[in-house]
Amino acid sequence: MSQKANFSRDLIKLKNIEQVISEITERLQNDVFNILRRKGAIVGISGGIDSSVTLALAVKALGADRVIGIIMPENDSSDDSKNLALQLAEKFGVKTIEENMTPALEGFGCYKRRDEAVRSVIPKFNPETDKFKIEIKQSILNMKLPPVFNATVYFADETTESKMLPMKAYLQIVAASNFKQRSRMSMLYYHAEANHFAVIGTPNKHEVKQGFFVKYGDGGADIMPIGHLYKTQVYELAEFLEVPKTIIDRTPTTDTYPAEQTQEDFFYQLPFETMDILWYGWENGYSAEEVAKEMGYSPEEISNVFINFERKMKTTDYLRMPPIHFSK
Amino acid sequence: MDTIITQTEQLRSFISEITFKEIDEITEDTLLFEEGVFDSLGFLSLISFISENFGIEVENDELNEENFQSIKSVISFISKKKNVLE
Repeated sequence: MSQKANFSRDLIKLKNIEQVISEITERLQNDVFNILRRKGAIVGISGGIDSSVTLALAVKALGADRVIGIIMPENDSSDDSKNLALQLAEKFGVKTIEENMTPALEGFGCYKRRDEAVRSVIPKFNPETDKFKIEIKQSILNMKLPPVFNATVYFADETTESKMLPMKAYLQIVAASNFKQRSRMSMLYYHAEANHFAVIGTPNKHEVKQGFFVKYGDGGADIMPIGHLYKTQVYELAEFLEVPKTIIDRTPTTDTYPAEQTQEDFFYQLPFETMDILWYGWENGYSAEEVAKEMGYSPEEISNVFINFERKMKTTDYLRMPPIHFSK
Repeated sequence: MDTIITQTEQLRSFISEITFKEIDEITEDTLLFEEGVFDSLGFLSLISFISENFGIEVENDELNEENFQSIKSVISFISKKKNVLE
């Protein structure tokens, strides 16, 4: 019987990157051509690390002429996102199509519904001049209770106001913002169907397991080639695949709300390097004591993080569930 | 005393309604999070419920186990907040 290795930060590192890439690309090729019987791949590219690695893998698997990168900016996207996506496409020799999502989102009432919910909590918020984001103020390390979101408004006069979001406003902001991922998914499938291609999804392991994706939004794709990789491992692949350094060095953002927001303050509450190794420890049955010793936290802090992981897995099951089909 | 009983019943009934649990399964000592009664949206609903029904505003630094681990601790939290307001 093999003995479990002592817990260490290095456990998460990929042993043979070349082999991992070769397994993914072989599988991608087989899935696109033989299982899905499609001629190529559509990848939504945002200038982020996950979509960049996914595009690079798709090119390696299928060839650059069988991959199209779709860039889908909207009102709240940063200019960096588009520029980095273009850099990426140029590097890998991939055709890009830009689709401005703002008119569709205005049609859905995405911004109007979302801003109305923010104003219900912070009445002075003026979407024309002010910016806002939603964030978690509590630390995952010393909290056994679930996190609660705040809306933080950055006013044009450089003052800020932050208020805890009540249920109704929180749900309305999330539901309205999710139009972004869902309309992008529709656009990706438009191009996929118009070219007889498959849609390749970009969520990584944390996003899938912790439910940091939108059901039938970025969670809607034909294949998820990096859904089993920790973010740290996605970065390892990025280096190996020679993804542009500007993309590798960029802090992961949500690019969803008007004010700048990292994935850490929106959802994870810890830097991804730490989150990865803690998740590995939890998932592989290491005790809070063993993990705490290696990571320099107290066992109680690690135990709180583990409680949160378990809760997130359980409460986001709904997102990973396929439709329930009745049979006779 | 009557107020405490009423508040306890209001909270039990609210928790039963939003968690689809039988009201008899929820006592004032049930550990709302440790026993898995509440998820994160449940917690948010509870905060909204006590704000709307007991007229108190919950602050970020009050979101801790001492104030929210059971109905008993929520009642004690409400009472402390009301005393400060009065």
